Amino acid sequence: MKKKYQALILGIVVIIFAGILLWHGKNTTKTERFEAQFTDVFDTVTNIIGYGESQETFTRQVSELKEQFDYYNQLYDIYNDYDGVNNIKTINDNAGKEPVKVAPEIIDLLKLGKEAYVETNGQVNIAYGSVLSLWHDYREAGLNSPTKAELPPMEEIEAKAAHTDINQLIIDEEASTVYLADAEMSLDVGSIGKGYAVQKVADYAKAHNMNHLLISAGGNVCVVGAKEDGEGWSVGVQNPDLSSDKEYVQKVKLQDMSIVTSGNYQRYYEVAGKRYCHIIDPDTMMPAEHMASVSVIMKDSGKADAMSTALFNMDYEEGKALVESMDGVEAMWILEDGSIQYSSGFSKYLEK
Amino acid sequence: MAKKTAYMGMLVALAFIFSYIESLIPINVGIPGIKIGLANMVTIVTLYTIGVVPAVVLSLVRIVLTGFTFGNLAMMMYSLGGGMLSLLVMVIARKTKLFSITGVSVLGAVFHNIGQIIVAAIVVENSSLFYYLPVLLVSGVVFGVVIGMVGAVLVKRLSGFIQKQDIF
Amino acid sequence: MKKNDVIMIGIIVVIALVALCLVNLYGKWNTKDAQAVVTIDGTEYGRYPLSEDRTVKIESENNGYNLLIIEKGDARIEEASCPDKICVRHKPIDKTGETLVCLPNKVVVEIENGEEADVDASTN
Repeated sequence: MKKKYQALILGIVVIIFAGILLWHGKNTTKTERFEAQFTDVFDTVTNIIGYGESQETFTRQVSELKEQFDYYNQLYDIYNDYDGVNNIKTINDNAGKEPVKVAPEIIDLLKLGKEAYVETNGQVNIAYGSVLSLWHDYREAGLNSPTKAELPPMEEIEAKAAHTDINQLIIDEEASTVYLADAEMSLDVGSIGKGYAVQKVADYAKAHNMNHLLISAGGNVCVVGAKEDGEGWSVGVQNPDLSSDKEYVQKVKLQDMSIVTSGNYQRYYEVAGKRYCHIIDPDTMMPAEHMASVSVIMKDSGKADAMSTALFNMDYEEGKALVESMDGVEAMWILEDGSIQYSSGFSKYLEK
Repeated sequence: MAKKTAYMGMLVALAFIFSYIESLIPINVGIPGIKIGLANMVTIVTLYTIGVVPAVVLSLVRIVLTGFTFGNLAMMMYSLGGGMLSLLVMVIARKTKLFSITGVSVLGAVFHNIGQIIVAAIVVENSSLFYYLPVLLVSGVVFGVVIGMVGAVLVKRLSGFIQKQDIF
Repeated sequence: MKKNDVIMIGIIVVIALVALCLVNLYGKWNTKDAQAVVTIDGTEYGRYPLSEDRTVKIESENNGYNLLIIEKGDARIEEASCPDKICVRHKPIDKTGETLVCLPNKVVVEIENGEEADVDASTN
């Protein structure tokens, strides 16, 4: 009897300790979480969060991804030339002159741009470069000397807008060339390029066995898999009211998804006390004024990028109708009065 | 003498094989030093059926052999530190007659781990290794009990056999 | 198994638990203070503990600067030479991984060893 009693105690002790051992072991074997950051692609801050056994393995992975980013950044650049690279700027420089031979990554992006144009009824137009650059110049000038900030004159805008026909963008897939038939037009892939590149880098990461990763390029967030503990990645949607104590209006949990936000509170300039943001509505040719921000959740970061721009250019009702008519798109609108609207399926992403 | 040599050789071979088997079982919890201690079973059996000196010799030979075969010099140092401290404690514990074979085995396992940490701390000059101590103590208890229980059975069966064969 | 074995195992177990507590306490003492790490174009410029109030003028290329203020345990940028002022408008930061960024000056202020952040990233 006494022996049985002892054996029982011993058994319990062993089980408890085996438990503690496993628990402790589990907690110490985790690969560590690392973060990296760079500021030299797509004019924004890029953050990468991932896991690795050591800082070195993570750094090695990040440098691979960085290389990818650099590549896309050069291809989609509209301001700078790079040695031996035909990029969007090269295409623009040769508008009306001759077709430019480009990498397939540019062809794919431009095809996505054309698709986005159709899907969003022209709210996303990568051939809108001439108007955008006009606004860009006035915005930069306004930021540099706020007292002299002014809006571009309407006739000037209209003159530019006459050269924004996306059908004049001629893609020859077989020859892998791109030609702008209108000498006055130019491409600006700002509305899709960053998102598309993020998606491509995420695909690259996945193909190279990085299964738990978060990539954020200026708030253009794309997550690969879940976090290592199986939890979804938590992404905060920035409060447009920057003076508020509440930094995020909502938090979403994502797994193998992308979220992209377009807002009027980050890149803007003021003219006579009125705020003019950097997203130009093709209908009015003026900065969009429908809302404070809109966030789009889609699988593909490039499409989400395009969609968020499109929704930002529509009023909420129109945008909501568009979102509901599409599969795999959810959106959240923050209106100027601070009220929040959701598409019907958005709540499944909200953090409980 | 021939019988004795053959018997010792057999024990060394057994311990060696146990060490090898153990190197094949990955207990991958990320903590260095956790092991089942299969080879310690042979040491215990030797200690109880033959005596202290053969147990020490067996231990040393096994550690050197396995160190050269499967490991490196550093691993051998850890094993030596652990193995010798463990054996010392087991010999003393047995002498006191306070504990059963299982108890002695637990003490052996626990001090094996302590010995390893001490050597490791000296080698890498980093006391943070003691962070692993609690886990290693617990793992020593768990595996020590298991090995001790099996060892006790073996001792019971083998001591009769050894006496009958009149080896020592 | 003798009674002594059980007692001895019990003692080892208690020692292990005590050691576990000590290790955890030691770990707590050892954690470093939260600090703001400033980098310019990827190179570290300086690190400043959030526990001490101070003002740092971060000087970057072309006479650019950002005025970093550390006050009451958080960091913010009070003034900057850049035109867009995104960093100045940013809320004060105090959580691990949060950043203040000034792209024109390539200045990044990031919190290390701070409070646990409640999100992994933000979209804006």
